[in-house]
Amino acid sequence: MSAALATRIAEDFAATAHASGDLQRQRAMQALTERGLPTSRDENWKYVNLRPLEKVRFAPPPGGPQSPVTTQDLPAPIAQYARYTFVDGVFAPNLSAPTQHAGVLVKSIKAIGPISPHPLSTPDLRFALLNEAFATDGAQILVEPGTDCQACLELVFVATTEAKVGASYPRVSLQVGARARVGLIERHVSIGSDANFINCAVDVSVARDASVQHYRVQQAGARAIWFDTLTARLAENAKYQLHSASLGALSARSTVHVQLAGERSEVGLFSVSVGGKNQVHDTFALVEHIAANARTEQSFRGICAGRARVAFNGKIIVRKGAHGTDSRQSLRGLLAGDDAEIDVRPQLEIYTDDVRCNHGATAGKLDDNMLFYLLSRGLDRETAQRLLKWAFLEDVVAKIEVPELRRQIEQSLAGQLNEAALKELL
Amino acid sequence: MLKINNLHVAVGDNKVLNGLDLEIPTGEVHAIMGPNGSGKSTLAHVLAGRPGYEVTAGSVTFDGRDLLALEPEERAHEGVFLGFQYPVEIPGVNNVYLLKAALNAARKHRGLPEVDAFEFLSLVREKMQLMRMDESFLSRGVNEGFSGGEKKRNEILQMLVLEPRLAVLDETDSGLDIDALKVVANGVNTLRSPERSVVLVTHYQRLLDYVVPDHVHVLVRGKIARSGDRTLALELEKRGYDWVTEEAA
Repeated sequence: MSAALATRIAEDFAATAHASGDLQRQRAMQALTERGLPTSRDENWKYVNLRPLEKVRFAPPPGGPQSPVTTQDLPAPIAQYARYTFVDGVFAPNLSAPTQHAGVLVKSIKAIGPISPHPLSTPDLRFALLNEAFATDGAQILVEPGTDCQACLELVFVATTEAKVGASYPRVSLQVGARARVGLIERHVSIGSDANFINCAVDVSVARDASVQHYRVQQAGARAIWFDTLTARLAENAKYQLHSASLGALSARSTVHVQLAGERSEVGLFSVSVGGKNQVHDTFALVEHIAANARTEQSFRGICAGRARVAFNGKIIVRKGAHGTDSRQSLRGLLAGDDAEIDVRPQLEIYTDDVRCNHGATAGKLDDNMLFYLLSRGLDRETAQRLLKWAFLEDVVAKIEVPELRRQIEQSLAGQLNEAALKELL
Repeated sequence: MLKINNLHVAVGDNKVLNGLDLEIPTGEVHAIMGPNGSGKSTLAHVLAGRPGYEVTAGSVTFDGRDLLALEPEERAHEGVFLGFQYPVEIPGVNNVYLLKAALNAARKHRGLPEVDAFEFLSLVREKMQLMRMDESFLSRGVNEGFSGGEKKRNEILQMLVLEPRLAVLDETDSGLDIDALKVVANGVNTLRSPERSVVLVTHYQRLLDYVVPDHVHVLVRGKIARSGDRTLALELEKRGYDWVTEEAA
């Protein structure tokens, strides 16, 4: 981080209302000042575009949200899911429909006082410190043991403010009690301005025998900067599936760190990313196998067109004692333009014996055999290519178990691929 | 219908077809047999327009038109169908979508409107019954997770839906058990008519017990070494390919 940027972040922080009273935020700010933000010289940050940060005002917008948001502006709701909407990081009760489900407690962090620190602290999680220092609100979700709420909550984070005016800090803490089952949808959209700075921090903890389906859809505005840090810890026999669709933003970076702390815990990370024009989408996903006999399944499909750059770095660390680890990685990138760039990188670090770790990574163009097969059946070249791009993503998109959401994401993907004709497929 | 004249084809530095002459009149079924590496599959692929095959000399006309000048999809529109030896798996593309898109592409070429959804489904169901395929195949990815036999049946199903004027079936019989072979043969026989022609590329004569060809040709080192009626296939079955190869040399 440049000295000028550090100074500016500190100045922006000093000017906020929390600067004097809130010890936790001060500590976060101090830690951030000491460590600095990552730069493209950092190994795990070399693909991300950090330059736009130079023009950001890091404090939340001074006068609250800049653009009045109405229910009509928001994505279509999903049946049975209670909705909580946050505008520029602040809970908006008028755009929300709270849950009535027994055992599910959702609170605005604003209402419950000082925010709790992010539980994990590694150099790759430094953007979470920025969130911690500046976030003024967020969702704290507690799911009581044994609760069954599979179609449960939808969080909609709306950014409305120009980055030069103020930043948006979505913040989520999800704690799921033993044996509970929960479905969470998390969306990020821009309304009004499309040039926001969004810095999101999500922490998930899944107790023993519990299971969580977490869907994330990033559709920030075309000039937005979207940074994200997600951490998750899984106890014994817990299951966590994270489905991410990365579509929007000019520059998007997601940092994911999952700890398989309990025996026989299972994580599934399914990500799709479609970048066009001059977008940059970068994901760093780390899964740490700490306990024995845990499983990881990681699939990434990225399509890159125009002059876009899509990167996915999937790392799995198997700690000493995590015997019986079973991990699979399938990372695939598709180049759909001569000036586009795809980087997929599977990494494995294994410190124990008796593990099974498969990984595969490919980056390339459309499969010639598939293309010829479709052409030989009379499909014109454009349709055939379109269909194959679609099929390439569908492999992972099909894992989304909420039909309405899958349909919405498929529509957005089709739009993002600029393939209006694909919609007839859906 | 199809006229192949002095066709020379190379794959990289490898000369695979070396002056092949063949004429397939309308309404006839021709079997192309030959030992491994004789150029059978190359011929099938060249007819369908697969990239990577360089035609260095000769011509192929289809109803008097230069077939080699057409793109693969244009050949399909003209009524040429290739049944693949190794049908390609395309996860994420529904079988039913491909069938419909292929049929509509052909209809568009003929100036017909898109097929009505109801008519289409009843047409596909009828053909699937003939091929003894379960309806669940429709919603699966193209050839995804299909067994070898299912893939071949799927090729014939596509052929029956598209009703090509020239079907080139590349070792459609390989890897089939006897029951599947009969089903596939039955499918091919259904298509047989005075307006259509079929080229059966095969290594064994077994398929020809069920789809009786009008002519049999033996390909050796990229040329037709011998032609005859179906008794030639029976003779090959008994004596193997060596004698034809030796004669050709």
